[in-house]
Amino acid sequence: MTDVAAMGQTTKDGARFNQGNRLVGLLSRAGLLLAILAVILYGSISNPVFFTAGNFVNVLTSMSIVGIVVVGMTFVLVVGGMADLSVPATIACGAILCLALQAYIGPVPAFAVAVLLAGVTGLVNGVLVGYVGINPIIATLGMGTIVLGIVQAAVGGVIVYGADPSSADFVKSRIFGVPMIAIIFIAIAIIGNFVLSRTFWGRWTIATGGNYSAAEASAVPVRAVRAGAFVITAFAAGISGGLLGLTLQSARPLVGQGYEFSAITAVVVGGVSIMGGFGSIPRAMAGLVFVQLLTNVMVLQGVRTPIQGFVLGLLIAGAVALDIALRKRGVA
Amino acid sequence: MPSAASALHMRGISKVFPGVKALSGVELAVRFGTVHAIVGENGAGKSTLMKILSGAYAPTTGTIEVAGTDVRMKRPADAQRLGIRMVHQELNLVPDLTVAENIFLGRMPKRLGFFDRGGMLRRAAAVLAELGTSIDPQERLGDLTISQQQLVEIAKAYAADPRIIVLDEPTSSLSEHETAALFRILRKMRDAGIAIIYISHRLKEVLEIADEVTVLRDGAMIETRAASGITAAEMIRLMVGREVSNVFPKTPSVIGKQVLSVRGIGDGARFADVSFDVRAGEILGLTGLVGAGRTEVARAIFGLAPLTTGTIEIDGAPVTIRSPAAAARAGIAYVPEDRKGDGIVPAMTVRENISLPVLRRLANRFGRVRRGVERDLAQTYVQKFSIVPPDGERRIGLLSGGNQQKAVISRWLATDPKVLILDEPTRGVDVGAKAEIHGIIGQLVANGMAVVMISSELPEIMGVCDRVVVMRDGRASAPIAREGLTEERIMALATGEDSAEGEAA
Repeated sequence: MTDVAAMGQTTKDGARFNQGNRLVGLLSRAGLLLAILAVILYGSISNPVFFTAGNFVNVLTSMSIVGIVVVGMTFVLVVGGMADLSVPATIACGAILCLALQAYIGPVPAFAVAVLLAGVTGLVNGVLVGYVGINPIIATLGMGTIVLGIVQAAVGGVIVYGADPSSADFVKSRIFGVPMIAIIFIAIAIIGNFVLSRTFWGRWTIATGGNYSAAEASAVPVRAVRAGAFVITAFAAGISGGLLGLTLQSARPLVGQGYEFSAITAVVVGGVSIMGGFGSIPRAMAGLVFVQLLTNVMVLQGVRTPIQGFVLGLLIAGAVALDIALRKRGVA
Repeated sequence: MPSAASALHMRGISKVFPGVKALSGVELAVRFGTVHAIVGENGAGKSTLMKILSGAYAPTTGTIEVAGTDVRMKRPADAQRLGIRMVHQELNLVPDLTVAENIFLGRMPKRLGFFDRGGMLRRAAAVLAELGTSIDPQERLGDLTISQQQLVEIAKAYAADPRIIVLDEPTSSLSEHETAALFRILRKMRDAGIAIIYISHRLKEVLEIADEVTVLRDGAMIETRAASGITAAEMIRLMVGREVSNVFPKTPSVIGKQVLSVRGIGDGARFADVSFDVRAGEILGLTGLVGAGRTEVARAIFGLAPLTTGTIEIDGAPVTIRSPAAAARAGIAYVPEDRKGDGIVPAMTVRENISLPVLRRLANRFGRVRRGVERDLAQTYVQKFSIVPPDGERRIGLLSGGNQQKAVISRWLATDPKVLILDEPTRGVDVGAKAEIHGIIGQLVANGMAVVMISSELPEIMGVCDRVVVMRDGRASAPIAREGLTEERIMALATGEDSAEGEAA
């Protein structure tokens, strides 16, 4: 009987109840940071180039383009929208229009129009997924194919070159040694984090992903929230594509290929649940940093590309398995 | 006496989860040919005990004897081999298969190595007939009513030739009429020598069907007694550790003007021509058999499903409701029937769950939710309704059913609604929490709110409501005033065994 009484008490103040879970929870939070440190440590020991300012700036720059997409993709996963596969098309849309329109309307309006049109793609995705109820994978795959087709037809399937070198200079400029493109990425990540973790829209996003019916029955505009995640991702991909185009000063229709999987990998490795309802921008960013550093180390060490793909594949499988295991234990 | 043979003996069963002791030293002895009820509040350890019995969990300490032999069960298949079958509260059936295919799922009869369809149908028909049901084994399961599906689930367990059958809240979706039919089946199975373990919150039913009753509280076994030697009041006292005097208290309130008026609404499919009014300070009961259309009516009024005909008025003015958000603006709130499915967002905290419908109001002009205001709001309700643990930052999925329900009700009170629709607000919650929820409803109407309460439980409907509307096959009866309420009258209206004249209130 004393046993039972003691049990009731510890359950009440929560101390004992949390202890077991706290360890697992801590592991799920700090595990990734430890992994990042391990990669940095290994990279520094194994390769003289790794731990240099030059290399870090390179990593940061290449991270920025995919990182902006990651911010949007986090919303898609958290809302329970699985993935946005139209990202390569929206990136291409951003990159090609941003360069192609420069000669006619100037670099800044060109950038704005490119991003806006990418956003329209997201709006169609959002309506298809949120309001019509089409499976997100199918809807975004279809939309991506259509948009890519339109973009290709518009530029005649050739490479588009920039007309205004000063715009490239702006993107490549540095503030205190940090590339402008990285600053834009970090600003977008901070805004994304604010929206997801602090605003009512972010809370609605998490609630809709956590339990769609319950959110709906709590007067959350679930359809709009679901659609919104795809609009956000399309805008992010449009910006990302525009910056990519400006950096390269050339763009082909397949310029965005592979970014969707890089973004999904980062988000999933960061521990954002593929089933929705759980995740944050900082987590996704940690996943991004880890994946990018790991890739960088592998490249520097001369690991062959197929093996790199193999390692990243294992990472995704491992992260998803962990997500499911944590969910079963009620931590995530 | 053959019934003296021991079917199951669990000794000194303890189960420790990381950080919690769910069971400590539980003893359970069940004999063949008896119905053994297990009662206890939510969180008392019934589910854990049954999961151990079904092989889903391994006990931390203790031994299990089935039919006098020590057994060790590592997985559910082990328990099934030993002849232990579970009938879960949530049905484990495939809607697109036929009744017969469901009954023999995973163990289809074979002849010469090939699937024997004829043999399966014959055996399914035999089992169903033996249980005294008239369900056609060739019918698609999804076309059956929920209560018929429940019987198929039981038939599935029975067809496996079990020694022990465990039923977890089998009557929670059944009307009283269907419950009586279920009990006839259970008695048949008992008389065939099967040991039946019966878990239920409904004490009246326990007294009716059980031979023995075991009470669990806080993970410990409190007492096992012959059902003939115990009363419902005693069971409640053992379950909660205190006397609960009046199970259904009715606080008198002043009934005011009409708030919600529903006129001839229909959805073109599951209900038609439904009309009723609810006045300030009044609790209107909406009852009937499962599948009569009660939940569909509530969901349509709340904008979760479209209406094809009829009008809804709030305070005498017609309103158009196409979404829950519009319903909330009109002053209508709805607490859904399926708490886990439609009520809570389990991974969110109690605070976040409570603030959900009013989140926009809590945000500043940048959309940022004002944490301090939100925390105060949640804390107000946590204290007001004594939600346990009294911590708004706890994930709601970790709370007991009753406390989750209090949080879901709080969520809607924060919108300051004129009408509150509660769909089976006390289903699956324990006795103590039930009384608390009734207390909360009583307070609300005392403050002038209009309440519509859907319930299948007649004592609850009769104890709490001022007027009652009975639904049958998508049609609503005229309201019956409290004075004219009898169980017989409600059942007659619900089952249609009454002539039409009786419906005038």
